[in-house]
Amino acid sequence: MSSNLDEIQKQRELTNRDLMKTYARWYLSVEVSNSYERLQALAFCNALSGSLKKLYKDDDQGYREALIRHLQFYNSEGTFGAVIHGVVLSMEEEKAKSKDSSDSLSEEVITGFKTGLMGPIAGIGDTLIWGTLKPIILALASSLALSGLFIGGIVPFLFPLAVILIGYGMMKSGYLLGKDSVTKLMKSGLINNLINSASILGLFMMGALSSTYIKVSTPLEFSFKNAEPIVIQDILDQILVGILPLAAVFGIYFYFKLRGQYYNRLIMWLIVISLITGFFGILQGS
Amino acid sequence: MNLLVAALCGILYFIGTSRLGYGLSQATGSPIFYGLILGLVYGEVEKGLIIGATIQLIYIGIIFTGGNMPADQSLAGIIAIPIALQTGMNVEVAVGLAVPFGILGIFIDQLRRITNSYWVSKAEKYAQVMDTRKIFHCAITYPTITIFLLTFTPVFVITLFGANAVTSIMNILPQGIIDGFSVAGGILPALGFAIIIMVIGKREIMPYFFIGFFLVAYLKVDVMAAAAFGFCVAALTMFNSIKQKQKEVN
Repeated sequence: MSSNLDEIQKQRELTNRDLMKTYARWYLSVEVSNSYERLQALAFCNALSGSLKKLYKDDDQGYREALIRHLQFYNSEGTFGAVIHGVVLSMEEEKAKSKDSSDSLSEEVITGFKTGLMGPIAGIGDTLIWGTLKPIILALASSLALSGLFIGGIVPFLFPLAVILIGYGMMKSGYLLGKDSVTKLMKSGLINNLINSASILGLFMMGALSSTYIKVSTPLEFSFKNAEPIVIQDILDQILVGILPLAAVFGIYFYFKLRGQYYNRLIMWLIVISLITGFFGILQGS
Repeated sequence: MNLLVAALCGILYFIGTSRLGYGLSQATGSPIFYGLILGLVYGEVEKGLIIGATIQLIYIGIIFTGGNMPADQSLAGIIAIPIALQTGMNVEVAVGLAVPFGILGIFIDQLRRITNSYWVSKAEKYAQVMDTRKIFHCAITYPTITIFLLTFTPVFVITLFGANAVTSIMNILPQGIIDGFSVAGGILPALGFAIIIMVIGKREIMPYFFIGFFLVAYLKVDVMAAAAFGFCVAALTMFNSIKQKQKEVN
């Protein structure tokens, strides 16, 4: 596969160096200039500007149009989304080459591809990168740090490292494979397969982490004359170990499902409930 | 608190939220990382790491859908950790102190994104004249200067004067309230896990969540061991479905 791609690259305008520069600019600026109005558009344009200049060598008009074109609304997940940058560059290359012929690639095709793919790709990236990879790395860092180990403070850096490697790989393959192969890949079952497996790993880990890190139990006991005190937590443990942490996760889950994701309102509620139940000794955080 | 430490906190918060580098903020803005650095400053690395990790766990599941920040783990960490280390408060109270700042941080992020709209409209003008240097400044330089002012200032002020205020409040805090914060610190991580289930939890694979959960609850498996099992299970399903697909093709 890789030797195949090397062959393709020899016939193309942009070198690895150009692609790395483009990726570096994207990587640096993707969230810096994020605004409510266009989200990642400015970063997208900024990232591509150098490569576009090279593709539209002497064609000022084409270059200007391309810059303006890529300032339009754009938002996706930054890591997997880099495949879109790659494909767009390959399309711009085609457009720049065929500017005088009648079958030149139209602007609508490029913008259509971008806006059509940014949603589905964001879904993939959020699942794999932010829903699976990030919490696993941070959980590992947390458990090391909780044991007082120095390395725990360094482990979070594995995440940006992984993002850089995956993101650049996505952009390069997008550029070399082009629009048709990427669309085909999206439609093939392979991506779904990958998401499914990553989701399984993610859910499995969320279960393990919930059980490890959600610490809630009840100190309630009822004592009667001439009898052993009844410890509520012991009864709960006989029914199901971890029933309270489980109730916490799914209580929140169903709150979000039914009421919408009002994150801060829920945090407030949780704190109020914690203070009340903690104050009266109904629950304890261990 | 001394000026230098307050300035360091301001700078750490700026670096952690500058967003230079996609996903880099997850490391440079992680409360664990803050805990390490501030632990070194105060000569209490272990305590710094433990407070940092406890705060991190609350925010472990956060996802920025559509670029919206649901809570700011960095502000929570950078305010609570130095104050806790200086005043010697326990971990539970530090968490109670952290959470309100986690909410406050959202407003700083919203301000940033509102000001960024201005730079996009500027960049549009520069695109007309093909001035890519200026576009670069609009995309990186100017927003970074703005975010420096927005992040450094409040953290510097709060960490400089906050410790004294917090100490006097802590002295009058009844044990019942501290117990309440301890419950909050124990329950809040559930929030992040619930959010991740919202994103990846399709009904037909939900049993895997329960396998992971009860593996730890009953068999006391540690997190790394669970990750190893989980990885194998995920790999098995992947291979099986690829095989099935090939059968269908043939």
